Amino acid sequence: MAAASAPTPPSTAEIAEAAEPLPSKLENSEPDCPRKTRPGLKRLALTFTVLFSFLLGLPFLLKSVEIYRSPLPFREIDDLSAAVESIPLQFPCKFRAVFVGTGGSSFDANELSVKIEHQMRKIAAKDSTSCGACSYNSSVSVVIENGADCFRSDNDFNWKCGALSELNKYEDSGEYNDELFDEYLHSLVDESDSRGNGGNVYTMIVVRREGQKDASAVVGKYRHGWIVGRVSEEEAVKKVASVFVKAFVNGGKEEGSISGEFMPVGADGKIVLSFNLLNADPHDWIYDWEFQEIDDNLLAPILKYLKPIADISVESQVLYHTPKSSFSYWDEKLWSYIFTTKDLPFFVNSNEWHLDTSVAAGGRSKILHLVVYVPSATECPLLLQLPNGKISKSNGFISPMWGSVVVWNHAACLNGSKMDTRVRHTISSEDMRKIFEVFIGQLRQLFGLKSKGIFRDTSSGTIRLLTSESGFTEWELDVLSRQHTCFNLLQCTTTLGSLSRLVQSLPRMIIKEEIGEQVRYSLEAAKSALSNVSAGIYDASAVSSRRARSFSEDAFYHPSMMSVSYYSFEHCFAVYSPFFLPVALHVLLAALREWKRYKQESRKFKAWKAKKD
Amino acid sequence: MATSFKFKPLTISILLLFLCNAIASSASGSSSTTMHTNNWAILVCTSRFWFNYRHMANTLSLYRTVKRLGIPDERIILMLADDMACNARNKYPAQVFNNENHRLNLYGDNVEVDYRGYEVTVENFLRILTGRHETAVPRSKRLLSDEGSHILLYMTGHGGDEFLKFQDSEELQSHDLADAVKQMKEKRRFKELLIMVDTCQAATLFSQLQSPGVLAIGSSKKGENSYSHHLDSDVGVSVVDRFTFFTLAFFERLNMYDNASLSSLFTSYNPNTLMSTAYYRTDLYQRRLEEVPVTNFFGSVMETIHTDSPYRAFSNRYYRKSKTEMPSDQSGGGNQRALEDSDVLEELADPKLNAIQVGCPLTHTWNTILGRMEKITQIDNFVNCGVVLMFPIVALSSWFSH
Repeated sequence: MAAASAPTPPSTAEIAEAAEPLPSKLENSEPDCPRKTRPGLKRLALTFTVLFSFLLGLPFLLKSVEIYRSPLPFREIDDLSAAVESIPLQFPCKFRAVFVGTGGSSFDANELSVKIEHQMRKIAAKDSTSCGACSYNSSVSVVIENGADCFRSDNDFNWKCGALSELNKYEDSGEYNDELFDEYLHSLVDESDSRGNGGNVYTMIVVRREGQKDASAVVGKYRHGWIVGRVSEEEAVKKVASVFVKAFVNGGKEEGSISGEFMPVGADGKIVLSFNLLNADPHDWIYDWEFQEIDDNLLAPILKYLKPIADISVESQVLYHTPKSSFSYWDEKLWSYIFTTKDLPFFVNSNEWHLDTSVAAGGRSKILHLVVYVPSATECPLLLQLPNGKISKSNGFISPMWGSVVVWNHAACLNGSKMDTRVRHTISSEDMRKIFEVFIGQLRQLFGLKSKGIFRDTSSGTIRLLTSESGFTEWELDVLSRQHTCFNLLQCTTTLGSLSRLVQSLPRMIIKEEIGEQVRYSLEAAKSALSNVSAGIYDASAVSSRRARSFSEDAFYHPSMMSVSYYSFEHCFAVYSPFFLPVALHVLLAALREWKRYKQESRKFKAWKAKKD
Repeated sequence: MATSFKFKPLTISILLLFLCNAIASSASGSSSTTMHTNNWAILVCTSRFWFNYRHMANTLSLYRTVKRLGIPDERIILMLADDMACNARNKYPAQVFNNENHRLNLYGDNVEVDYRGYEVTVENFLRILTGRHETAVPRSKRLLSDEGSHILLYMTGHGGDEFLKFQDSEELQSHDLADAVKQMKEKRRFKELLIMVDTCQAATLFSQLQSPGVLAIGSSKKGENSYSHHLDSDVGVSVVDRFTFFTLAFFERLNMYDNASLSSLFTSYNPNTLMSTAYYRTDLYQRRLEEVPVTNFFGSVMETIHTDSPYRAFSNRYYRKSKTEMPSDQSGGGNQRALEDSDVLEELADPKLNAIQVGCPLTHTWNTILGRMEKITQIDNFVNCGVVLMFPIVALSSWFSH
């Protein structure tokens, strides 16, 4: 093995070596070339200094190519998804019932309570139990009033017996004024609330009396409902249970499931309602509206009421030259132009209707377009005909996650009188009110509730729902809060899960501190939402679940996490290794070689010294 | 002695190669029965310069088709280099044609380009797909789809084996596209995705896709080129590509109310006239192509539900008499088409590599080695093992060189 001193690239070690008289025929260290002097340490020191300086510099090099990755709490994210996704999230709800009857009752309070619970579970099992439903764990408190007697199933329900004896006050030729009765019952129910947890308690009051037609259930604006009339006890139990499950728990939907198309809240917890007045052909007539007035009087209270569910902001605009893109035909009998439900998907003419012009809406808000369409003279009046041949009462339709349209025919068109085309007309406030009633109904539909106030159920008859001036009744808001909480928490956990998988799959991607903070806030909000869920506080849980979702979406959609922008480990290695690898290896080998040489030389020296002595 | 020494690192490396196999974890599938709520279109022309006129004409023709069938501008993202219409070499300034009869000016009416010129980059494209924009990016430049959206992604330009060239300076790799689609699916940004690619070796661009609900068609297979249709001697360059030409011919026969199916579109491509094989991939798509109308991707669909009645809450300050008798129509299904498909991840049949049985044993072993290497899914670990192996090899070689 010849020493390759000439062809090797020059380095300090080799240059020094070239001056060395002895070639490294190191194996043949025989005493024919004895060493009389102690081997020098200079070269050894030199090579080792270079080696150590490389070793000292290594941590600095690694530090300089280090990437900052904010530590994400992966374990907590996994725990959260286990907590939310494994079992459907259910809320504690409390149900109470009062039976006021003239006839004798064959059951006592406890038996009635058990029967109601049993019926409720039967109905609830038929609907798919889904996220956001009530857990049917607590028992139903029942009070039975029978003349002067009063039996209770438990002492939680502090109902004042005999309170409904003045029922006659509200009779008017055998019918009731629902609103006043509702208020009266509300005051009674409020009083009877001993524990002060008015949040999640639902009450049904059954007044059995003779001599009337069959009773149907009515649900009020607050958290109670009633059945007044001729009804047997079995029937009453069935109706009460169905009101509890179908109305108070499921909100009047056919199945209580949450589907994404009825969750119009954007990822940042905001909705922008964009109200548009569309004049199809301004050559015929031009309409304007007093939007501010409507906004202040009708809309603002509703939007304030919906605050736990979403932050809603409102914009409005008036557009011209916006014909629709479907066709209508003239119907002699109805004396108007008709468009059918088959034309609805083609009604919105997106080429001419430039609706999405909001500057206030951020990238992740949801915009819902609520459109009033004023048809042109060639199509006036324009009515919507339903598949069963009847004319629609609302003359409008919704498209989930997009918005809704109402067709408004002005009075002059219906009479056939002439309009002054040069003047800008304003929609009268009475007409505006009517249009807004349709809008509120459509807004409810966009949230998944029904726009009309009656709920027809085959097994237990009809349930009538009272309307509220806030657009949504208290119990409907409860339903929405529960479902939105559930939906938001599920979205939050899936987003955080995707984020953690993404971060772990790209080990060389920079994770900014901001992202770490947002993940932590999101987890905190999700935990507080879960604790609110178990405590049964609906509003607070909806708000914190919204925050959780918004933070998790901010973290996931942070613009810095583009995998294209980051180098893989192989890239870094390929860049740095041609610089450092050859030199480092040569230095290392030189040091080793010097060490070996030193050892051999000192062994030779020792041997010579021993021989001399 | 020396020769055996040389082979030892090689055998060690091969052994380590097989030891470095890691098992990739499978993606999770989720079942969803969401309603189809809207359609989006992302049309990307990845070329610039005058001689790539036909790519811009392709994209603009498809833009016009998609708009005509109903998708509005607010749901179309158009990425063009946009340097044809006002190019100094354009004999017909501000006009772009896709046919030598010049019957249709594609640049005439209402063309809204979202990303133009140098904004058409791989990074912007991936940002559109994944949704990770800076906060200042306006809504018109974002893909605001939701879990009920069907997205049409059309890309045209110059491409090759597993890549697509962007503006002559960068490349979009097939695994980047697959990764972006995977992230979109995880975040439920689409219900179904149709990818149409009109480049050379187009089918390789979507070979790495794994997410369910994706349908892809490319104008040519691996190793084949895609050709332009005809040269316009007046303008001086080819004005349209064959695949796009036949696609447009199919759609010119349609209008908004039609329901031709996707399978009729896909089978309308004749390899003889196309001069390449239009290859499409349906293994990630659950529904049968005969049942899917083309307007599911190319047209505008609005799911509509009729509103039964207004919410009479504001006029009941006065006494309301009797129980109102509501008519018996329930909230109409309207035109709800509840699409039931469960996105269950199917086993991806490996179409890629067939072991070629050749008589020569060396090529056979080489092919089996290649096959094994193709199957190594955890490519990172393999590369890292190789990198780690480099150290001792370099050390040994530099030791021996002295």
